[in-house]
Amino acid sequence: MTATALPVAAPRADPASLRAAWRVFWNGGRMSYGMLFNWARPSIYIPTLIGGPTFQLLFFAALGSYATDRSPAYFAIGNAVQVSALAGVFGMTMAIANERWFGTLPAILATPANRVALFAGRFLPFVANGLFVSLYAFGVGVVFLGVRLEPSSLAVVGAALLATVFSCTAIGALQGAISLRLRDGLFGANLITMAILLFCGVNIPLAELPAWMQVVGNLLPFTHGLEAVRQAADGAGFGQVGGLIGIEVLIGVAYATAAFFLFSYLERSARQNATLDVR
Amino acid sequence: MTTTLPRPAMPSAPVAPADGHAIEAVDLVRTYHTHLGVLRRRKIEVPAVRGISFAVRPGELFGLLGPNGAGKTTTIKMLITLLLPTSGTARVMGYDVVRDTTEVRKRIGYVFGGDRGLYDRVSALDNLRYFAELYGVDPDVQRTRIGALLEMVGLTGREKEKVEGYSRGMRQRLHIARGLLHDPEVVFLDEPSIGLDPVGARELRQTVQSLVDAGKTVLLTTHYMFEADALCDRIAVINAGRIVALGTGSDLKGAIANRTIVEIETFGVTDEAVGRLRADPEVGAVNTEERDQSQILLVQSERGAHITQRLLGLLGETRIGKVVAREPTLEDAYVHLIATTGDDEARAARAASVQ
Repeated sequence: MTATALPVAAPRADPASLRAAWRVFWNGGRMSYGMLFNWARPSIYIPTLIGGPTFQLLFFAALGSYATDRSPAYFAIGNAVQVSALAGVFGMTMAIANERWFGTLPAILATPANRVALFAGRFLPFVANGLFVSLYAFGVGVVFLGVRLEPSSLAVVGAALLATVFSCTAIGALQGAISLRLRDGLFGANLITMAILLFCGVNIPLAELPAWMQVVGNLLPFTHGLEAVRQAADGAGFGQVGGLIGIEVLIGVAYATAAFFLFSYLERSARQNATLDVR
Repeated sequence: MTTTLPRPAMPSAPVAPADGHAIEAVDLVRTYHTHLGVLRRRKIEVPAVRGISFAVRPGELFGLLGPNGAGKTTTIKMLITLLLPTSGTARVMGYDVVRDTTEVRKRIGYVFGGDRGLYDRVSALDNLRYFAELYGVDPDVQRTRIGALLEMVGLTGREKEKVEGYSRGMRQRLHIARGLLHDPEVVFLDEPSIGLDPVGARELRQTVQSLVDAGKTVLLTTHYMFEADALCDRIAVINAGRIVALGTGSDLKGAIANRTIVEIETFGVTDEAVGRLRADPEVGAVNTEERDQSQILLVQSERGAHITQRLLGLLGETRIGKVVAREPTLEDAYVHLIATTGDDEARAARAASVQ
């Protein structure tokens, strides 16, 4: 017999299995935040996800309004959305890659848990965390930088923001899966957040970037979602920005799917080649 | 620390293995592949397990005993579905470990030794709750099951503390509780007492015995002879990827029952002197144990205590302390088996595998 990778933990559709999968998704997902997110303690969380975003908003608003004729609110909105990427990308990278560094990966892989539910559940706390950080940053923008949101636009802004945070978390999941094998997870997460800052229209409108940068920006999460947030903040309704939100969600689903398939591939490969510390 | 584990509300349909074995391995082989060098990369094949066969009866405590690198952990990892065999077959409770991974995983618990493998930043309770969800333990059962397991491993009252503050022994006991959350029929314990202090190791052995008392099938790997002797119904000695002996502790000791062990305390014994002992045709095996200021030579011989003077003569100028002749123990049988099997073959196989 030759060592052959076979399907692992194929999901089953009976009610008991579905209930178990739901609990892995919902309860397991929520619990993963405290277990795996290195920043989930006040001494790290406050400076990194409260202090850092505050100064990022103030810095780019000051620099941007000094160097251009755009208002500080323009930069405040871009960076208030971008800081959600900080939480989503880094958080989700840790939520997956830390399983290997904590030595818990073999124990996880030895369970019969539904892998789709296990993987998808990890998104829950980090999407929520990204939303929280972004809403805080919007608050800074409203108080200090002249951001004005009409009550009628809040629902559309919220939907666009949710789609953006989801897609940023999805690229974090892909980076986490890559990090299971390549180890330098936070280095890659740094590159992604920097790329979002540069390519996605946070401080420089996409149309003013060179063509190749626009192509990159359109392939990354964030770009369409941020544009939807900006238009919604200017009063556009779902009818005007629904397409942008839809594209953002699709990009997020594409990255999440790629991340899951990479995770599944690595699990099969680990059985066959004794990688991921299962040896 | 014994307790009866509450049964799950919706237990898996018990599978009576057709052959009556809880675990069955037939000609299991696992070879690792690795590379050496940067520019001129050479592929290396490392045979970790080289054709292992054994069967474990339901309710039996079966020991896999062997030195580091013998293939114990690799064997366990194939049986718990984490590694694919290169060839051979294995079944757990009647399910094939390659094809029926989910069914096997539902029925087994896996406990490994060491500090890692737990979520340090949260409490023991949260660790157990999380894995209870992953194993699909019914929510109605979780609370009583977790409480019973905490009681069993002696962590009641400490379960809300973060694991990062736990001692090694507490972590090890938490590993055991985690491995039993879903009330598995078969429990694999991979060197569970490694690094524990004597009291912790004794408590752990009591816990392992309680598992067998509760009807579990247990496969235990260890390189502590007394632990295997005290706990296991049967022991397989594994060396260089092969089983070199299989039987009860008494069976294994019987293999060298006609031998005497001469323990010689020496001070500053040289390799040459030990080599002279090993080269003597009357000597079966020599094992050296380092102590603070001395070295204890354990010399096996079929000549009884009569050989003592001859051994002392072979040691030449070496300063000698206490000399004792005694009956062989399981550890002596193990040393004999390891010394007389596997090493040359393993070296030859490794040399031949470099491509």
